[in-house]
Amino acid sequence: MTITTSMDDMATRTRRFWLRRDVLHVVGLWALITVAGVLFSIYVPAHLMGPPASGTMREIEATMTAFSIAASPVAAVVWAVALYSLIAWRHRGDGPPETDGPALRTSRPAAAAWILISSFLCVLLLVWGLAAMGSVASAGTTGNPMVVNVTGNQWLWTFAYPQQGGVESDQLYLPVNRPVEFHVTSVDVVHSFWIVQMGIKVDANPGEITRTAVVPDKRGTFDIRCAELCGLLHAQMETSAHVVPMAQFHKWLSANGGHP
Amino acid sequence: MEVRSTALGAAMTVIAGALVVVVTGAVLSHSSAAAPALTAKTNGTMNTAHGKLRHATLSISSYPDSMAGEHGADGGKHPDWVSYGPTTTYDLPAHALVSVTIRQYDSGERLNNPFFATVRGTVGGTMTLNGKTVSHVSPNHIGHTFTLHAAPGDQDPLFVSVPLPAVPESVKPTKGSDYPKPNVIRFSFITGGPGHYVWNCEYPCGDGYYAKFGGPMSTRGYMSGTVNVG
Repeated sequence: MTITTSMDDMATRTRRFWLRRDVLHVVGLWALITVAGVLFSIYVPAHLMGPPASGTMREIEATMTAFSIAASPVAAVVWAVALYSLIAWRHRGDGPPETDGPALRTSRPAAAAWILISSFLCVLLLVWGLAAMGSVASAGTTGNPMVVNVTGNQWLWTFAYPQQGGVESDQLYLPVNRPVEFHVTSVDVVHSFWIVQMGIKVDANPGEITRTAVVPDKRGTFDIRCAELCGLLHAQMETSAHVVPMAQFHKWLSANGGHP
Repeated sequence: MEVRSTALGAAMTVIAGALVVVVTGAVLSHSSAAAPALTAKTNGTMNTAHGKLRHATLSISSYPDSMAGEHGADGGKHPDWVSYGPTTTYDLPAHALVSVTIRQYDSGERLNNPFFATVRGTVGGTMTLNGKTVSHVSPNHIGHTFTLHAAPGDQDPLFVSVPLPAVPESVKPTKGSDYPKPNVIRFSFITGGPGHYVWNCEYPCGDGYYAKFGGPMSTRGYMSGTVNVG
């Protein structure tokens, strides 16, 4: 009898809480911000990252979009409460308020819900992130990848093709749809080799070789940058990656003293 | 009244902050201003693979110290730093054949990236070293390189790199000079449309600094500079 009464009281309190004017306003604001956040997540981050030129980049953009969507309702809770508090509960008048606000009370259901939802989201993002990292790491490691040695030095990238007669270039040429493995190093300070539209970014460390791979699947000219502040002309340490049909790649190799 | 003074205080704070940013920017901009430019001399036209183009010449040098360049006869703050001279800022005409002469007075050692021992981006992929035409030199005895490049963008691409072989340390200064007889390197390249480029030395010549990449290698006005094509 006592337990039933207690549960009835809790249900009544909960119903009253959700029907409070302030709570309804905050929930409405949360819904609006969530919708705006989801729309932003779908259309903006991936768009800012540019059109992808590899499966790796498509996976990275999908991950970015999914993570942003998952974060939207959580961020919206914070922003809705903060915005509503700033506007509706702002103290007006001279001097500090004469009385303090009502004391905070512990709510076990609210705490449980918060912990459970947060934990679920964290596990989801962890599993998704690990799967995406595994997929990126394995890209280009099958199908007889072409090796390109990448050397960073202040403030240029140089590329060598050891399997094609040692051709060297200050610009990167790649055949479309052929797996490529990059062996990246530096001869001076730490640089970071970044092919923007292919989603490839790996440190170039002096005395070490770091490896990464990609399958470029879109023809065109793409951006290569140094993503590690490396000195005076760091901002000029950029060049181009040209992804061309295999026949054109062979022609380029021949013109530069190499062979297919 | 109190509200008005609060608003005035906030406005003054914003204005003061903006002033600090403007003054800081102006000071930094002034302190990093480029050295006076050396303008390539134009002298008629020449037939090239790209048709008849204007011809311009540029003559510069690389020194084992800073006493013959833009830092003055006393070498400025760092007289013992290696440097290019007479300046490190060059103005070149657009769509022209530019012939460059570099007198290289400095000693050197091995390049840490042999890529730069090969002549790249010049007419015919060659240069002359003391009158002899070469396309590649030994990477083991390089004094400096002159490597011109730019980030890809709206301007025409331009990449030129020539190695400047070292003068052996055993060679004594010539009579009446502080420097030995230089290696004379000549090469030509063709400019595209107007653009802003940078050049730097790819031989680590900042002796006394970490991995020889500090000092003159990391300070404007010594082993790097700008090229304006227009």
